[in-house]
Amino acid sequence: MNASLLHRIWAHRHFYLFISPFFLLFAVFGLYPLMFSFYLSFVQWDGLTPMTWVGLGNFQNMFHDEILLTSLWNTLIIGLLYVPPMFIGAFVFALLLNSAWLRCRGLFRAAFFLPVVTPMVVVAIVFGLLYGQEMGLLNYLAVKLGFARIPWIVSEEWSKISVSVLLVWRWTGYNMVLMLAGLQGISNEYYEAARIDGANAIQRMWHITIPLMRPVFIFCSIMSLIGTVYMFDEVFVMTQGGPGTSTTNFGLYLFNVSFTDFKFGYASSMAYTIAFFVFLASLLILRLRKSGTE
Amino acid sequence: MLLNLVVMVVFCLPAGGAASSGQLLSEPSPGVRGDIQIWSWNIAAASLEKLIPSFQERYPGVRISIDMNGSSVQSRFMLSLSAGVGAPDLSQLQAREAPRYALTGKLTDLTAVARKYERAFAPSFWDSCVQDGRIYSIPWDIGPCAVYYKRSLFTKYGIDPEAIETWEDYVAAGKTLLERSNGQTKMLCLALGGLSDFFEILLQQSGGQIFDAEGRIALYSNETLESLTVIKKIMDAGINANIFPWSFEYFASFKSNSIATYPMASWFGGLMRDYAPDTSGDWGVFRLPAFRAGGLRNSNLGGSVLVIPAQSTQKEAAWAFAEYAMCTPQAQLDQYRDFDLYPALLSTHQDPFFDEPVPFFGGQKVRRLFSLDIDKIQTMNRTTDWMEAVRYIAQALSKWTAGEREAPEIVLAALEEKLSRRLNRPVAPGSPSGKGRP
Repeated sequence: MNASLLHRIWAHRHFYLFISPFFLLFAVFGLYPLMFSFYLSFVQWDGLTPMTWVGLGNFQNMFHDEILLTSLWNTLIIGLLYVPPMFIGAFVFALLLNSAWLRCRGLFRAAFFLPVVTPMVVVAIVFGLLYGQEMGLLNYLAVKLGFARIPWIVSEEWSKISVSVLLVWRWTGYNMVLMLAGLQGISNEYYEAARIDGANAIQRMWHITIPLMRPVFIFCSIMSLIGTVYMFDEVFVMTQGGPGTSTTNFGLYLFNVSFTDFKFGYASSMAYTIAFFVFLASLLILRLRKSGTE
Repeated sequence: MLLNLVVMVVFCLPAGGAASSGQLLSEPSPGVRGDIQIWSWNIAAASLEKLIPSFQERYPGVRISIDMNGSSVQSRFMLSLSAGVGAPDLSQLQAREAPRYALTGKLTDLTAVARKYERAFAPSFWDSCVQDGRIYSIPWDIGPCAVYYKRSLFTKYGIDPEAIETWEDYVAAGKTLLERSNGQTKMLCLALGGLSDFFEILLQQSGGQIFDAEGRIALYSNETLESLTVIKKIMDAGINANIFPWSFEYFASFKSNSIATYPMASWFGGLMRDYAPDTSGDWGVFRLPAFRAGGLRNSNLGGSVLVIPAQSTQKEAAWAFAEYAMCTPQAQLDQYRDFDLYPALLSTHQDPFFDEPVPFFGGQKVRRLFSLDIDKIQTMNRTTDWMEAVRYIAQALSKWTAGEREAPEIVLAALEEKLSRRLNRPVAPGSPSGKGRP
């Protein structure tokens, strides 16, 4: 660093001062913890007694950790169960809200977005009443209609489905708003030109809307990927990851390992490893976008 | 968000702080002065609050503030111990959680002042406060167990609660009930995902353990086998409703006629009173069924202790209050009378209050019933890994009961192996699973 650079920084010190709050806060609450937890991945530590260095031991333990594998598997299954219906729902609702004939657009938009801002504890109470085994509303209807009771959240087979239904309900509105913004960003000129060329509605959808929505889809996919892996409150308040481990996803498992077992070293190594794979997956999704637009 | 949480914990590290000596050596003098802060939760906090005026008559120089921020107490407590600053002078802990802190040097060693109470509490509760011969906590309330039943249902379907002496009888009564009510009334709530409380009751009653005294895995024993067999018999007979404990449905079931009994701890009565006050008088209690005729008919679930963090600078004042609240019969009785906290202090059990009829239970003398054989309940070897072990067991039991329910021997052998691997502890020698190697 030469003197003239320092001199120039000094000359513009006010601007550096103005942008410094973010960097200071980030350094204290972001960077330092990140680096420290990276260090923690190589130690064993319960937060109370001194740390012991274990090298790569924490990473080796991950291979023998069947609950970690189960939680990753659950994350995948729950993701596959809820992301496709959520995407389709969000896209369809966004299209409807974007159509010219619809009245009370703001009302619908707010209604669909409401689940995102509703506190999870309230949601859990309502869904708890819906999913109840003996006295729940859904099973009441099922029995009235002559079906057997469904063990919504008290059986290992159904619990993933029940959690996925909750997730679809909760996150469709959020994705819909993103997609609606994307749809509104598509210039009307494309559609006019296509109409003049004689393209029908399906052709316009397939050749204009969907290709131009690609960046939004990609953004939503990455957010959903990260959201599913680190999802926590939905399963924590609904099922605590149970019955058994049937709805324990990675985020909940990470929480259990750190805050009920106090294994901060192991938790850090898992968090880093999975974050690395999420990073790779996000890169892959972004690469798909590039190859699509070229 | 979660990653941030983990990261934040890690950030709160700078150890050291104002930790003074980790031992309390002298009795508090009546003139002791100080402002102490206490962490506790819901009714327990309220019950301590109520003791303050009578405490201050003895120790006028001690001022007390009670912080009752419920659910996050446990993690905040751990973080403040880890950071070396911010812990209260006195904190409530779950009895089963306390051992993990005891040997970390972050709690005050109370041996010098508390040893004189060694015989004042039932052994199983006292022993969980002692690690390596040193005393780190003081018992507060306990959770002796029995079976709550609905009188009207038992009368209607002709079941005599006094005739239920063993778990065998209990299952048979459940079948009768199910049959005579055309399947409308189930004997108890026992959900796949909620087996751990019931299993803990059975385990402690049976004399089984998860760990032996040396901390080795000792889950597989005839006693544990018996406990699992009871669960299997209940499930096979279909007398249980698949309702999650502590769910809305669970609490709603107090008022409906769908569930006839709740095998639970003494503190459960307070919950029933809160959730279903209009069912008063319709409830009765019979003793926990034994594994075989003449066997132990009591167990324990829950209960809490008080600890003084080593970093407290007001240890004397904190102990003065802890001693008053936990080791004085009158203070313990007040807490039981007003807040349903069953006293761990044995001398209170001689009080006439225990022989008073309780209107909520149709005039039955339930307080006495819970106290029977309390001294025969065995001590559990909790170790630092208790909570984690219980989680693995609950998960395995859920899988087991959801599936074909193969013989309990198979489940236990697999579980022992898993616990040993996950907790990095050897299996105790002599385990029938054959995995025990010295």
